[in-house]
Amino acid sequence: MEIDSKIHEIKDDPYKPAKEWKERTWGKVVGYFCSYAPEEIIYASGALPVRIIGRNKAATLSGAHLQNYCCSLARTSLDMALEGDFDFLDGTVFVHTCDTMQRLSDIWRLNAGAGAHFDVVLPTFLGGKNAYEYLRSELSSFKKSFENEFGKISDDDLRRSIDVYNRNRQLLEELYSLRIDRPEVLSSEKLYMIVTSSSLMEKNEHNKLLESLLSELKASSSSGDSGGGKSVARIFGIGSVMEEWDFLRILKEAGGTFVDDDFCNGRRYFDGLIQQTDDPIEGIARRISERAICPCKHTNTYARADDILERVMDSRAEGVIFFQFKFCEPHAFDYVALKEALDKASIPSMLIEIEQGSVSLEQLRTRIEAFIETIRG
Amino acid sequence: MSEEGKKLYVKIHATEDMKKLMTDYYIQAKTAPGTEKKICWITSGGPVEFLIAMDVIPVYPENHGAMCGASRTSVQLAEVAEEMGFSRDLCSYARLDIGQAVTGGGPIGGLPRPDFLLCCNNICGTVLKWYEHVSRYYDVPMFFFDTPFIHKETKEHALEYVRKQCVDLIEFLEKQTGKEFSEEKFAEVALKSVEAVDLWKRVLSTAEHKPSPLTCFDAFIHMAPIVTLRGTQQVVDYYRLLLAEMEERIEKGISAVPDERFRLVWDNIPIWYEMRNLGNLFASRGACLVADTYTSAWAVDIRVDEPLKSMADAYTKVYLNISIDLMVEQVISLIERFDADGLVMHSNRSCKPYSLGQYDIARMVTERTGKPVAIIEADMTDSRAYSEAQVRERIEAFLESLES
Ligand code: SF4
Ligand code: SF4
Repeated sequence: MEIDSKIHEIKDDPYKPAKEWKERTWGKVVGYFCSYAPEEIIYASGALPVRIIGRNKAATLSGAHLQNYCCSLARTSLDMALEGDFDFLDGTVFVHTCDTMQRLSDIWRLNAGAGAHFDVVLPTFLGGKNAYEYLRSELSSFKKSFENEFGKISDDDLRRSIDVYNRNRQLLEELYSLRIDRPEVLSSEKLYMIVTSSSLMEKNEHNKLLESLLSELKASSSSGDSGGGKSVARIFGIGSVMEEWDFLRILKEAGGTFVDDDFCNGRRYFDGLIQQTDDPIEGIARRISERAICPCKHTNTYARADDILERVMDSRAEGVIFFQFKFCEPHAFDYVALKEALDKASIPSMLIEIEQGSVSLEQLRTRIEAFIETIRG
Repeated sequence: MSEEGKKLYVKIHATEDMKKLMTDYYIQAKTAPGTEKKICWITSGGPVEFLIAMDVIPVYPENHGAMCGASRTSVQLAEVAEEMGFSRDLCSYARLDIGQAVTGGGPIGGLPRPDFLLCCNNICGTVLKWYEHVSRYYDVPMFFFDTPFIHKETKEHALEYVRKQCVDLIEFLEKQTGKEFSEEKFAEVALKSVEAVDLWKRVLSTAEHKPSPLTCFDAFIHMAPIVTLRGTQQVVDYYRLLLAEMEERIEKGISAVPDERFRLVWDNIPIWYEMRNLGNLFASRGACLVADTYTSAWAVDIRVDEPLKSMADAYTKVYLNISIDLMVEQVISLIERFDADGLVMHSNRSCKPYSLGQYDIARMVTERTGKPVAIIEADMTDSRAYSEAQVRERIEAFLESLES
């Protein structure tokens, strides 16, 4: 598969494609943290948005700025920045999500930022008219300050950008539905490399890779690379970033696979299409309000559990794995309510809490094997 | 330690009045269920004036959390929440509150059940997740008051958003109480709130005097009324009394710490279970904590001519809702105003918005003022995360360095 070489590239160096793109095109690259970032606006300017996802190495330099009770995603990302890994960026966009991100933005700006720095203070409330109006104004205000640094963006630029993003979301959605029917066609390790690579490389190029991958997968009737005689254990994943490739390998070896998820480099990244309307900002705002919600945002007290439970059912998952970063408050709070909802529906679940750079794989293997055994009865 | 400690404290007479005020308030709150009085749980940075004006009893789980911390019942309550699946890494106010709802434990036998909730995220995002749980637990409605964070400047559309929510909040309260909102009554409450806040600011300012008549440990205790009941007459009366006592102290040359030699600023929420010991430790070396970033957080400005507009501004600009650079400005201005010799920062495991960034603040403060900073690692109510020996050692070394 053509996509294979690309995604393996990002496993070794997530920013290689972006750096190569920059060399080739002389374009600008802008880093961002969260799946709520209005990437369409960045892309419309001709710049390449790339996601910052931390790394699997114990944090060091960031210790002078962040206490050890801060989540490892923030700490290892800051480490990379302090080591100069992001010097190739022309700017960074922070979006208001959790308390940690909010403070990281300031620390980044004061110590590590390369190029321009933007804060998009999205509302925490994503329901009702007032919040929506504020969201729209905030997106417009971001667009303005972004234009000041990166040049004018016309409505047509925005519409073209939205088309590319919609296409990507459609293709990923297709890939997910295909896997819900036939999870064996693609391991979840590859799946998350594919979704993650979408946020690390040029979108049009990614679309092309996805198109050829999908036609290959559709054409093949045989089971894919998951192998083995037994059918795989169908798992639904919940958490923030899923980029622990070794964990996914272990999951596969234990006979399990994610069939759907609520990860922010999974379904929460591509959920929902943007309606093309007269005012493109309006369309972007609508999608942000309506897409699968992150635990940092609020619509009503039951929305997230209801939505997730429905998707667990739809994906015919046999079990749920919560995969969370230690010290991550929004996810740790929601865990209790979500677990309760799953228990009520008699869906088994397990909680894995990790810190990037200090994961004990053998321990994980034992726990995952045991979990898969339980759901298999 | 305690024997030696007793001599170090000069008792504040008004404390008895405050205790009575708070006891009456909690009795009233605890006897409200079953009557027509409604109870609303509210976050510490929330716009309480609306509740007072609507005759709703505000209940502050965070104030209760402080009480549980001070009475050392917090760990036991937090453990109840941990049993329920809440991670030990979560804010300990939230954990102990979730626990007290189940067991009714703690120094006052638990908080009264809420009729509805008012959650304002101008202090943190944690309160949203916490109140979502409370809302589900008691099956009561929640009003979420969303105050956009300020990184550099306050944006007009953000203030507009907050102002509009004031209007929505009024509607919500009318629905919950079945009463009509009276602008007249609200203006009256706002006026009293302004008066109380003004008096509170003057109380805190008396510490500018050398030697200072009060320490921030006193302020932590005496802040309860301004947080919970501002907008009422009793609070105005109370702070008049306290202010008079502080002014009298200045006149008579009474200092909070005998032989004040060093003046320090405190950052972050107190270590409630350890406050007395720490107070004694500082006092025994002639160090007075003359100001802090926590109690001055309630020194918001509300203008009576435009209450809604100025309230939206005030509630958006509180200390925890602004960026690190803006915080540095405030810390430095405290150091200058109170002529402090250094800064003591409590790196509080429970509170990420308060603590993440402290290392940078410390560096910037020293760079700009030349004043030294000590950082101590602890948790405001979870004493399991506290190493007494380590903290004492850190503080002693810091005080020694001030000597030289
Ligand atoms: S949401 Fe969680 S994992 Fe993400 S930055 Fe915040 S605390 Fe860290
Ligand atoms: S202690 Fe910090 S995290 Fe906890 S409720 Fe208060 S402001 Fe929020």
